[in-house]
Formats: sequence, C-alpha cells, structure tokens
Amino acid sequence: MRRLFRLFHRGFPSRLTVASIWGTFALGALLAGCATPPPADDPDAVAEYREANDPLEPTNRVFYVINDGVDAVVLRPLALAYRWAVPEVVRTHTHNLLANLGSPVVLVNDTLQAKPGRMGDTSMRMLINTTIGVAGIFDVATGWGFPAHDSDSGMTLALWGVPEGPFLYLPVLGPSNPRDAVGFGLDYVEDPFTWVGRGEIVDALGWARFSLTALDTRSSLIDTLDKIKAQALDPYATFRSLYRQHRRSQIDEARAAD
Amino acid sequence: MLTRRLMLSLPLVAALAGKAGIARADQLDQASGFIQQTGNELTAVINGSASAAQKQDQLQAVVDRAVDVDGVARFCLGRFWRTASPAQQSAYLGLFRHVLMLSLTGKLGDYQGVSFVMGKPAAREGGVLVATVINRPNAPASKVDWLVGTDSGSPKIIDVVAEGVSMRQTQRSDYLSFLGQHGNSVQALIDALKQQTGKPQAGG
Repeated sequence: MRRLFRLFHRGFPSRLTVASIWGTFALGALLAGCATPPPADDPDAVAEYREANDPLEPTNRVFYVINDGVDAVVLRPLALAYRWAVPEVVRTHTHNLLANLGSPVVLVNDTLQAKPGRMGDTSMRMLINTTIGVAGIFDVATGWGFPAHDSDSGMTLALWGVPEGPFLYLPVLGPSNPRDAVGFGLDYVEDPFTWVGRGEIVDALGWARFSLTALDTRSSLIDTLDKIKAQALDPYATFRSLYRQHRRSQIDEARAAD
Repeated sequence: MLTRRLMLSLPLVAALAGKAGIARADQLDQASGFIQQTGNELTAVINGSASAAQKQDQLQAVVDRAVDVDGVARFCLGRFWRTASPAQQSAYLGLFRHVLMLSLTGKLGDYQGVSFVMGKPAAREGGVLVATVINRPNAPASKVDWLVGTDSGSPKIIDVVAEGVSMRQTQRSDYLSFLGQHGNSVQALIDALKQQTGKPQAGG
C-alpha cells in the first residue's frame, strides 16, 4: 500500500512538460463536464456528494478509463515481463538505487516541513547509501537506524495549511488533487537532476530513470492492483478513496514526526 | 458525541468528572485486551496445522465472535440501508458476510508465519483504536489499527485501518459510488455482490 501511489509522485521524465498534461486535461474537461450536485433538500445525498468531493467526476472517469486501458496493454505487460525476466535481488537493488536518486527531493521537503529528525535521517541515508551502499544500490542505512520515509511537496503544502481541493484523476499521473498536482511540479523543480546539464547522455539517463521507476513501481503493484480491480465493484471510486486515505496518512505521519 | 470530545480535549473537565475518566481508561484496557486475545486466536488459526477448509471454519468462528459484521455492513451501505426493503437488507447482510469471508480466507496463505506486537489504545469517536504492528516473514512490518466499538457492552471490531487505510471507509466508497452509477438501486448492488460471490475470487 505504501508504494501504491509512489509512481505518481516520483521520477517523471525531465522532458515531458507538465503544461502538455494540463492541456490534455483541459481538453478532456471540455469534453466531459462536471458532476451534477444533488438537490439541496436531500441532506443525505448532499453529505455523500461532499464526502466524495469529486465535482469533476465525469471528466475524471474518462481519464481513468484511458489510463487503465494504457495500463492494461502497455504498463502491466511490461511490469510482468520485468518481474519475470529480472531476478528479485536485481529488482530490489534497482529499487534502492531509484529511491536514493529521489532522496534530495525528500531532504528539501523535510527541511521545508521543519522536521529536523527526518532531515537527519534523510541526510544520513544519502551519505551512507551513496558511499557504502555503492551509489544507493544497497540500502545499508535502514539497518543502521535511519529508516526511509515519504516526503514530497504535496505533503509540505498540506503541512503549510493548503487545502487539498477536489479529487482529480490526471492523464498519465493518475489520482491526484490540485495540491498534489502543484506539489508534483514543485518536486520536479526541487530535483537537482532537473538542473544538471543538457545533452543526449543526460536525456537518456533521465528517460532510463523514468522508465525504471515506472517498471519498479508497477511491478511491485501487480498483485495489489489486480486484487483491488477484482474485488471492487467500482474500481475508480475505490482508487479515489485509497489515494485520499493514503495521502492523509502520509501527511499525518509527517505532522507527528520530529 | 460533543460532550465526549470536550472531555477528551479538556483535561480540566476530565479531572472534574473523575468517574467518567476512570470509565474511559477501563474501556481502553478492555479494548486492548480484546484485541490481544483476538489477535492470539487469529494467529493461532493462521499458523496452525489444520487443513485449508478447517482453517476457514475456525476463521469464521473468530470473525463471528469478534467482528460486528452486520454493523460494518450497514455502515458500508450508508443512507441506502434505510431505503432498502427488509428482504434486501437481509440479502445484503448475507452477501456482505460472504464477501468478507472470501476476502479473508484468500489472504490466509499470505499471512503464514504472522506475528503481532501490541501498541497503545486511544479513544476515538465511536470506540477505541488499538494500534498493532504486524510482522510477516519476507515482508516489511505493517501498522494495523483496530477500531473497537464498545457501545454495545461487549467489545467488537468495527474497522481495520491498515497503514492509514480504513477498510470499511474504502468499502463504503466503493458501494456508494456503485449505487450512484446504477441509479441508486440497492437491488443492482445485491446482484453485483451475488455475481462476485458466485465467481472464483481472482487472487483472493
């Protein structure tokens, strides 16, 4: 569960602009429109509508169907192939390496959230895993008492008191909300790898990181997502609920941390 | 509810209402002991040497004793519980129980070798939330909180919160949204649940 939505917060390719995603989103919004709120004299229905907090539901569902279709024919088969072809030990090391590449953004957000304990953990993790852990391939730090935690700009904004806003299902990125969508853009800006050089090698490495992140995340979720889709009567609503609860739990954990 | 919140947030009020404070502490202990006992029963079933069918029966017995299945089912149906006919209510309760058991027995294999560590109980709206950490071989430790309802006198589990995700809240979102997509027809939900319990559960 912890990693369920990580893909949507990490490792997006440096060359794919957020603007183009929003362009597609705006187009979809024009095509599908808004949900109709229930009549005000039905308080139960109104309460339910507020609980769902999804005024753009028809549009969101269009993107869910598109993403799900792409996932079924592209991402899931690739993830299955990855899990089949690559030994587990290599996949674990790949995951560690990717997590280490993501740690500068974690550190920036620990700092912005004013969490010195977490800043210490992240700094020690970067230091230990990048050196003794051979560029992050081995996660030595966890065993040494510096466990990993989640931290991103969406969570930082939440701790700063920014409300989450209505639910959004974004093309490619999946479940989100305005706060997390802005946070996603901030994560991109905060990532030092966004700002290192330009050129074919840098581009290739950026894409390699993105592709591996997608494979790593999706392959770790094959069973979880298959189960949710098999058991949910309305998978879209289930993902919406899971996403929100997961984010709230991450935010609560960050708030309680020192 | 409001008075309870006030009591929790204002120690002064709690100190003045000495008796109520003691009752609250009792409830915390009771809920904690109940989860400890139920956890022991569950791990004994899961890690036991019985056959899969026997384990299923044992699990059913623990669930019937420890979980307020009907209460959870009603929560998941939200406002539609009241509009459903008595026949629909009873059909729904039966199907809900079936779906829950299918989902739990499907997980038995994944939890072989499971153990748990008790955490602290805390008062919540509607009951006591008891924290545990669940350890399984070859899997990271996971935080699971149990919401224990104490209103009815004997404690019963009314929600399981795994890594911050409430099972009953997720189920409720699923059902209510399904109903919204199907003209608010409880019968459509019942039919869908029938279909779900009829077919083999993919991956449990």
